Amino acid sequence: MSKGKGKIAIVGIGEVPTGIYPERSPWAIMYEICTQAVQDSGLDKNDIEAVVTVAPQAQARLTAEISFGKIPEELGLKGCKDVCICNAGGASTSNCIRLAEQLIASGAARAVLIPHVTVHSCIPMDELINFFAQAGMDLQWEYPFGTTYNAIIGMLTRRYMHESGATPEEMASIVVSMRKWAALDPNSIFFNKKVPSVEEILSSPMVADPLHKRECNILADGGAAMVVTSAELAPKVTQTPVYKLGEGAAFFTACPVLRDNGMMTRGFTESAAKALSEAHITKDDIDIWNIYLAYPVGHPLMMESLGLCEPGQGCKSFVDGSTWPGGKMPWSTIGDAIGRGHTGSGVSTATYVDTARQLMGKADARQVQGARFVFQNTSGGSGMNNIATVWGKELI
Amino acid sequence: MTQQYIKPIPVVQPWTEAFWKSTKNHSLLIQKCSACESLIFYPRKRCPECWSSDLGWQEAAGRGKVYTFTIVRDMVEAKFVPDLPYVLAMVELEESVRMMTRIVECDPELVQIGMEVEVVFDDITDRHALPLFRPADESLRITATDGDQTGKASEPALFMSPDDYHTILYETGGTNGAVCRITLNRPEKRNSINRRMALELRDAFRRVREDRNVGVVVLAGAGGSFCSGGDLDVFPSLAEHQTSLNWLAHEGLDVQKAITDCEKVVIAKIDGYCLAGGLELALCCDLLYAKESARMGFTEINMGILPGWGGTARIVRSMPVFRAREIIYSGRKDYTAREMFEMGLLSRVFKDEEFEEQFEKAVALLAAKKPIALRMGKEIMAKSADGGSIDTALAVERNGIQWLTYAPDIQAMMDQFRKNVKS
Ligand SMILES: [Zn+2]
Repeated sequence: MSKGKGKIAIVGIGEVPTGIYPERSPWAIMYEICTQAVQDSGLDKNDIEAVVTVAPQAQARLTAEISFGKIPEELGLKGCKDVCICNAGGASTSNCIRLAEQLIASGAARAVLIPHVTVHSCIPMDELINFFAQAGMDLQWEYPFGTTYNAIIGMLTRRYMHESGATPEEMASIVVSMRKWAALDPNSIFFNKKVPSVEEILSSPMVADPLHKRECNILADGGAAMVVTSAELAPKVTQTPVYKLGEGAAFFTACPVLRDNGMMTRGFTESAAKALSEAHITKDDIDIWNIYLAYPVGHPLMMESLGLCEPGQGCKSFVDGSTWPGGKMPWSTIGDAIGRGHTGSGVSTATYVDTARQLMGKADARQVQGARFVFQNTSGGSGMNNIATVWGKELI
Repeated sequence: MTQQYIKPIPVVQPWTEAFWKSTKNHSLLIQKCSACESLIFYPRKRCPECWSSDLGWQEAAGRGKVYTFTIVRDMVEAKFVPDLPYVLAMVELEESVRMMTRIVECDPELVQIGMEVEVVFDDITDRHALPLFRPADESLRITATDGDQTGKASEPALFMSPDDYHTILYETGGTNGAVCRITLNRPEKRNSINRRMALELRDAFRRVREDRNVGVVVLAGAGGSFCSGGDLDVFPSLAEHQTSLNWLAHEGLDVQKAITDCEKVVIAKIDGYCLAGGLELALCCDLLYAKESARMGFTEINMGILPGWGGTARIVRSMPVFRAREIIYSGRKDYTAREMFEMGLLSRVFKDEEFEEQFEKAVALLAAKKPIALRMGKEIMAKSADGGSIDTALAVERNGIQWLTYAPDIQAMMDQFRKNVKS
């Protein structure tokens, strides 16, 4: 019993396919994902004792409704005792899970619902560009010069290529790998869509040199939810509990100009080491690397930081197929934001949901056979931090 | 500063006021902690190292190196669109602090990581000047123009050197000194026309006009295609009314005029794709020789617009009007060279396998003629084709030919002829 002391597990998941659904209200999605997740968990709706929601970006009205308790009321969660919303950009889901952990450990709640919904297609394009131009940018030291997310990533990509010698073809192959997973994923905007070739990616227009259009994300609508309980309770309600085994976090900087690849490599390495040691396993035990970094450039950096390849060689595994479906190092099984469609902070929720789905054995065409342990990370803002976690289908 | 500055102005904090005030004197300050001597960028209310609030300032040397950069080409807010493309960069100052900025007074394609730069100030309001950076090496600099206030990479000077061309090739003095070859050279983009190419074409055709040895200019495309039209990268910037108008009235009209007024016989060598803006360039030429496999057409109408670099106006003067209209209205991009020839547009079509040889023969034939005769012929035929009265055209012809006849070298030839007749 003591093995699971203080630990939590995901016991139910729900998700709608990512896409462009301007006709679909956020609340229609909210109902669907929450109902699915609760039903999947085997719990009754009234067993949910807290709702901790991943804050949707750029949607002030929806954020206010959720902040002020609309979810338990709409869904009739009669047992709910606590409700809040949490925002740390793309890292939010990690913080929501951490809050759930604390609610459970303190006895405040036995089961916590963690949903996320974003409907980008309802937001006018110029407002979206405006939001993503300003969010995470310093209004005094960055924004007046014309920074955008794509431009920041363009700069980081150029620096990475300069330091590592990675070629444009190698960078584009990261997108190919992501899209291969996406093509098999019914929840992806690119489900069943042709995977672009390296040449096609490189012939797409430059957005922020060296970043091509097809290396940038498509903003999309989507939603995903999970139900979390204590590790003790989990096996009593479901056949397929997914345990959180370890965690490590590193904060870098808010302003990208104060950050560099060395700082990120150190943070990736240290947070991963902490998560693995807490889980009492090593990197050799990991069956899936579920990495969420929202743009290609972070992936090789992460691979190098995790010690899975030589420094500067992070792209190679994306080129040779190791990271692809069926490869020896399954990587980002929803294809990260670039393969899934960017749902704001929701890609991190979707990544956790897929970590759980893989360990539950319910990932169909993308199922990594015999997966026991998954390493997952999240990251917020323009890459302000890294939160590494380790998940398993059993307690150690 | 009469013009209103519409882009975002730095949101200043009380403890950063000194920094911005100093920018108005074109001086760059770095905050310095009096307690632990750390240099701090960006300025804070307390030292981020030791939390002392005893903070002062040190003037930066204003020199540094590019740590990284990007050429922003698309997906920016409307207020930054007129600046596109612009170079956003992180610059590491000699004092070891790094700041976000732009690289200006430099061709974006020439910026490199590690490039040495020095600060310049863009006075955006009477209380703020943005610290921007330009190459320390003067030879890499493009003269700043008034456009600088927009943070826009400034327009190259009117006359560049052919060595500065990035998007075209300019070759003279080959085996045949009477031929100049101007080659659109962005094969990876099917030679599509961007701002840079427009400027370079304008420059190249104005340059060749001054070369008295040249009688014939060959306009061709590198890599198996003539030109696929305007570069889509230009399109976002056309969202702004004035920029769009200028793309037509400045870049567009200048390029057309530079070709039609260059006083040489310009021969278009058409292969691969010759579409949209590419076909418009061709229509400015004097002779059109096409490879049989070339594909041509005006696709603008498929986007709800029309050829605006002279194409709509010129094509009806270049071929039978009922056929010209079909080309404009259909939006087809698959007209074969043979079809175009039969419709009355092209000078000649050559079979693929014979194209190079036949084309060069045609060029050599014209290049053997006297440049001033070609020049006068171009002018007389252009004036007549313009559609003025026939009497005017005949007068231009008479006077032109009279002028030619009395050109010194022609008279020398005539003298020889007269002597031969006498003897
Ligand atoms: Zn200090």
